[in-house]
Amino acid sequence: MVFAIMVTVFSILNPRYFSTASFGNIMQDFAPVMLMAIGQTFVIITGGIDLSVGAVLGLSGVSAALTVRATTANGIDPGLSIAAGIGTALLVGVLVGVINGLLVTRVNLAPFIATLATMGACMGTTLVVTGGVQIAGAPAEVVQIGNTRYLDVFTAPLLVALVILVVAAVVLSKTRFGRHTYAIGSNVFAARVAGINVKRHLMKVYVLGGVLASIAGLFVYFRLGSGSPASGRGGELQAIAAAVIGGVSLMGGLGRVTGAALGALITASVLSGLILIGVEPNAQQIVVGALIAVAVAVQGIGRSNAGS
Amino acid sequence: MTAQQPVYEARGISKRYGNVIALDDVDFSVAAGEVVGLVGDNGAGKSTLVKALSGAHRPNSGELYLDGERVEWHSPQQALEAGIETLYQDSSLAPDLSVSANMFLGREQLVPGFWGKLGFLANKRMDEVASQELQNVGIAVPSSTRSISKLSGGQRQAVAIGRAVSWANKVIILDEPTNHLGARQSAEVLHVVKAARERGLAVIFISHTLPHVLEVTDRIVVLRLGKVSVEAPTSEFTPDTLVKAITGLSGAA
Repeated sequence: MVFAIMVTVFSILNPRYFSTASFGNIMQDFAPVMLMAIGQTFVIITGGIDLSVGAVLGLSGVSAALTVRATTANGIDPGLSIAAGIGTALLVGVLVGVINGLLVTRVNLAPFIATLATMGACMGTTLVVTGGVQIAGAPAEVVQIGNTRYLDVFTAPLLVALVILVVAAVVLSKTRFGRHTYAIGSNVFAARVAGINVKRHLMKVYVLGGVLASIAGLFVYFRLGSGSPASGRGGELQAIAAAVIGGVSLMGGLGRVTGAALGALITASVLSGLILIGVEPNAQQIVVGALIAVAVAVQGIGRSNAGS
Repeated sequence: MTAQQPVYEARGISKRYGNVIALDDVDFSVAAGEVVGLVGDNGAGKSTLVKALSGAHRPNSGELYLDGERVEWHSPQQALEAGIETLYQDSSLAPDLSVSANMFLGREQLVPGFWGKLGFLANKRMDEVASQELQNVGIAVPSSTRSISKLSGGQRQAVAIGRAVSWANKVIILDEPTNHLGARQSAEVLHVVKAARERGLAVIFISHTLPHVLEVTDRIVVLRLGKVSVEAPTSEFTPDTLVKAITGLSGAA
């Protein structure tokens, strides 16, 4: 409903908005945001939050770029070199996820603080390893993989993202892993005394969040053909906005992956719509911030109405 | 009752928190088909004893025996697996989950075969079994698929007790099960406690509400300042003597 109104408004303001090419662009923006939003959904449902996803996206992208550049420079076949890049990026995601999980479950830091710390560390690392400049010089195959469109819309990364969406939605709603995710966010004491290993479960959830963010980083790298130290900046805000717009409660215990995906679609559409009607990119953050505030306020109204 | 071999027994349990002695050489036992009331003033050591019995805390000294065999709990999970269910004073239900999801929390049933190995839940089956089990222990809940957050306080407590009773195969520890409940709801809870006794469970009933303790228990253990001050069959107590035993005004021992 909201989505339909929005598409109509943007289409009137700029007729180019409503075309398959533009839709394809939106989908390319949408895929990384959606992946981060899916990870965020699992984390938020446990009652936590992951502020590091945007920084992980950035660090994974440049790690992949650096790996691919270094290996191709040594004469390694592009296919192998791209595989190595993917491996490096995923390793970054796992590593940051493990650190987040350890800080939350072993050091007992609040998730907000733990992931704020890793966010800072990842952004710093990104700047150090890149020297603050773009890592270009990827083999042609990279951009080819990232931008070849099937049916004008579907790129390989987008298809991968959609598969991940389906799997994540099923895992959260149909499996024991999903059930325990909800239980921990709903009442951590109940989960613990029911014999659920809360610490181990939270570790897995933060690692999942890290890995999905690193896949998002790979998508951006494949799209641009370079690793930009600036990419992913503000990504955590977009991911949180998407999840909250999609009905995931910041109090934990409630929410769906499909809702978060729809939220990501709305967020991505708004952002590309703003670009098409000529709003400067730096002002986009303001809109994302406003979206979060509105979505949480609406949830709060719904909640207090249900309570009274 | 006392002649019967206890199912669960604690001998010489002591627990200190820093300089505070919460429990001092406490003996406690409960037999199958027996409801033992555990009463005492705030700070008398009830909660500490419950935590030792349920595996939540390890005492500094003392021994636990289950069916005559020495046991030691390193986690509440181990006590659960040994057949000791605890209903905690703080809610141990997840409000956003359904009645049946709560009944099976931590013990989810999976669908058979390949999908089960992947962790797929057998929701339909769990819904059916949950309804059946709650009926068996005498609890009426509108639907086992309903979210706990949509139930009244009394219904929630009934589900929590129903879960504990249906999973327990030896001992069930109820910490303030009638707290914050109305008269009718309390009566339902006491009814479930009696049903649990008839199933041959050993029930430990902790409560501040003395009329409930006098109504439902077979034996009462009074804790005072970390020690067992009085222990006697419930029939030997009147409301008056029980209050005196708890407050220490009677001098009885």
